[in-house]
Amino acid sequence: MDTLLTAEIAANAPRYRRKSSTFIDGIHDVTDQDNMAPAQLYSTMSGRLFHSGRIAIVMVGLPARGKTHICVSMARYLQWLGVKTRIFHLGDYRRATVGEGGNVPQDYFYPNASPASTMLRQKILKKCREDIYAWLNHENGQVAIYDAVNPTAAGRRALAKEFAKHDVQTLFLESYVDDEEILKENARNVKIHSPDFDGMDPDEAAERYLKRIETKIPIFETMQEEELNYVKMINAGRAFFYNNVSFNYLSHRIVFYLTNLHIKARTTFFVRAGPAEGEEFYKSDAPLSEEGRSYAQKMTETLLRHREQERKANSEQAGHEIRLRPLTVWTSTRLRTIQTADPLKEQGYNVRQRSQMSQINPGLCEKLSEHAIRRLYPEEVEKHELDPYHHRYPRAESYHDLAVRLEPIILELEREQNDVLIIAHESVLRVLYSYLMHCRPMEIPKLKFPRDEIIEIIPAAYQNEAKRIHIPGLDPQFTPGSPEDIRIPVPSIYSSNLPPIDGISSPVEPSSMDNVLTRPPEKVVNNAKEMVADKVADLD
Amino acid sequence: MAPRTNGIGVQVENTRICVVMVGLPARGKSYIAQKAQRYLAWLSIPAATFNVGNYRRTDAPQPPADFFEPNNPEGERKRRAAAEAAVADMLRWFKKGGVVGILDATNSTKERRKWVLDLMTQNNIEVIFVESKCDDENMIMANIRDVKTTSPDYQGQDPETAALDFRNRIRNYEKVYKSLNQDGDEEDLTFLKIMNVGKQVIINRIRDYLQSRIVYYLMNLHIRPRTVWLSRHGESMLNLEGRIGGDAELSHRGEEYARKLPELVRESVGSDRPLTVWTSTLKRTIATARHLPKHYNQLQWKALDELDAGVCDGMTYQEIADMYPDDFQARDEDKYNYRYRGGESYRDVVIRLEPIIMELERSEDILIISHQAVIRCIYAYFMQKPQEESPWVPVPLHTLIKLTPRAYGTDVQTYKANIQAVSTWRGKGSTAKHEDPSPEKSLFQTH
Repeated sequence: MDTLLTAEIAANAPRYRRKSSTFIDGIHDVTDQDNMAPAQLYSTMSGRLFHSGRIAIVMVGLPARGKTHICVSMARYLQWLGVKTRIFHLGDYRRATVGEGGNVPQDYFYPNASPASTMLRQKILKKCREDIYAWLNHENGQVAIYDAVNPTAAGRRALAKEFAKHDVQTLFLESYVDDEEILKENARNVKIHSPDFDGMDPDEAAERYLKRIETKIPIFETMQEEELNYVKMINAGRAFFYNNVSFNYLSHRIVFYLTNLHIKARTTFFVRAGPAEGEEFYKSDAPLSEEGRSYAQKMTETLLRHREQERKANSEQAGHEIRLRPLTVWTSTRLRTIQTADPLKEQGYNVRQRSQMSQINPGLCEKLSEHAIRRLYPEEVEKHELDPYHHRYPRAESYHDLAVRLEPIILELEREQNDVLIIAHESVLRVLYSYLMHCRPMEIPKLKFPRDEIIEIIPAAYQNEAKRIHIPGLDPQFTPGSPEDIRIPVPSIYSSNLPPIDGISSPVEPSSMDNVLTRPPEKVVNNAKEMVADKVADLD
Repeated sequence: MAPRTNGIGVQVENTRICVVMVGLPARGKSYIAQKAQRYLAWLSIPAATFNVGNYRRTDAPQPPADFFEPNNPEGERKRRAAAEAAVADMLRWFKKGGVVGILDATNSTKERRKWVLDLMTQNNIEVIFVESKCDDENMIMANIRDVKTTSPDYQGQDPETAALDFRNRIRNYEKVYKSLNQDGDEEDLTFLKIMNVGKQVIINRIRDYLQSRIVYYLMNLHIRPRTVWLSRHGESMLNLEGRIGGDAELSHRGEEYARKLPELVRESVGSDRPLTVWTSTLKRTIATARHLPKHYNQLQWKALDELDAGVCDGMTYQEIADMYPDDFQARDEDKYNYRYRGGESYRDVVIRLEPIIMELERSEDILIISHQAVIRCIYAYFMQKPQEESPWVPVPLHTLIKLTPRAYGTDVQTYKANIQAVSTWRGKGSTAKHEDPSPEKSLFQTH
């Protein structure tokens, strides 16, 4: 295998971010192999789940059909479930082969292309496939998402045959769009940033771009191959056609996920619940204190002000008044979160309580000093240090348990078209945040959500973005590290030679690395749009 | 349908869905309707099925096949009247707080579907059509023999004559049958079309999460025969003391049950065929499963842990009654909804068990070793026990329960290990440790 070329592909691809910050969506990270995923239910020797073998999900569809959005979202969900998934964008291989700024020959996609073009194309395809097999065969991968146009039935049949030869099952996923509005919208979103269309009226640019696709890829046959497994997603999820020859559960799960996927703009806000009365104790489920009620009030004011500002800004940009998207509030069934939503409820907002969003159960170790835990459960401490994400103290929940129980919430969150405000305990916010921003399991227990910040997450096709909004006028005593934190010791993953933790109530906060993880930049650059800019020439 | 909102982004929320079954007779419509209703009701989503056939039967108890001729005016009038009566009842039921109403009928013409859709839309009720389409003649005849010849329409008739008559009845429907969006003019409907038992599926215009959930559930249904075995853990040290919750070891008798379990399971399975075993993460269920054969695959689920009794964890009922008398009474008044301070209610347990049920529906043979409250909830799902009853169902220790789902309901068999154990059942108002369930409460038929 030509490892040099593979490394170069990774290096040239804008899609891999190697340095992790939790305020940048990590969905395109190349992950370390042996980590379990946030909501993985079990592990197997082969690393493959759901009684399924190795699967290639082969994308089918012309450019501007939202394939990237579908690939990325699906990978996010599958990885969350623990299915080892990786996206192989054929475009990355083409760019790496042709070189920076290089162009493929005009007849590259033509059925009767010149021998030179055909050879170039074969070379690129071969390299990409080799990487897929290498990953599936030698790196315990389970689902390879192959992102390319795959325009002809003959090509797809050959592909399925080739994968079968390598003992890989194939599921085709076509994004089929014949709704002009959706096409134009997609084209506008992607192409606006390309220098090719600089200064052009957006509608005209979109139209030209769509024309260009037609000339470049003259033949496209929608899927009708009865003998193949395929899911056809029609007009961005308006309808699905599912031809199932030999697939089972995993594909149902994917279809279920896709039926909840949408591309409409919306925002998710995260805030903590206010501080409670008296001494914090998991089982007491205490109501909000005086400060807690005042916090709820200030948080509400800040949030509503922020929404109104955004609305004004968007209206100005659009040149006409834009109405606010409806806002729904989700809380857990714990008193504190319910009461934090009271000011919003009084204004008529819809508040839903979700028992799945209860905070992590600290079990028997709540309020014990670390010394006491070490004395009472020496073996547990040892196990915990080996795997703080999955280990559970006696009667406690692990973060992994929490992630599993939050799964229905995540699907509902995907489906939701309203803006959602989630008021929950920090442990719940950590897990939901890690889904949306694709954090590594080891990072999850360490994520921090100070009380004086509202976190706003804006989903985008290529990667999600997070912002924070400051809540002014709060007593600093109640903002960070409030006494409600779950006192489960988290050994540092960055320096193993730190002295043992003093007092379990304050998880270690080592060094500067931690700041990278927990402190977001004031303003998050819109990475997503830069990332898609290079897709203009991307016709694979 | 855009969400209705006011100026500041406040939304009115009250989703109500009418699930309209579509398809020729003997395509498993009633089976699907019945499963969906049970699943939703178990999740506390008020659901009811309105079977048009039942309404028609009051008017025409045992009609011959030509009653279903499309141009038999008498038959047509009576069938139309039955549909109207069913839909009228459904609308009344929605007014009383129903959330998902299932209209179980053939609804095989576009006109009939449009009629239902318009009526529901006028009443602000969303409509999702669910069609089961099947062209496999063998499958259809098998279904007719299994299910239809025992229908009240054919009571007392020769099964072969009945089957033939029924096949003719279907032909009458076939004359006017239009599959969903067959002509391309029903594109705006929300629908799920399942063809040849899931070989092909069309999902069209899913509008909200509840609809997607229903669709996902229906896609996971399969008709391969399978069995679910349930057992509580062996008697624990805390059971002996009459204490609830905790994470105790097994008692001597509990250990004895763990050793006996492999034999009991083999007797019930009838072969050495391996089962998949699911336990909770608590010591007593893991210990109970540990003597099962090595070739059984075992998984631990946090979701199968016992109901969390919060502050009352590890107490006896007497202690709870003394320390939290109000809570103790509140729990007896509404045991399903009562949430222990800092703990869970039965309702909470059902919600966390939902993914387990989804896995169970798609899986084949499974043995679940769990706890009293959890087993009550799973049992309630299969046996359609109402919420007032399910938290009181006696689930004795040292007993293996075998559930075999059938087209219309679930068969139950129990296997006693004949190893003594305390009773952990508690009647309403009682605080006694080791109380025997009253005879009329014993719902299980012993094998």
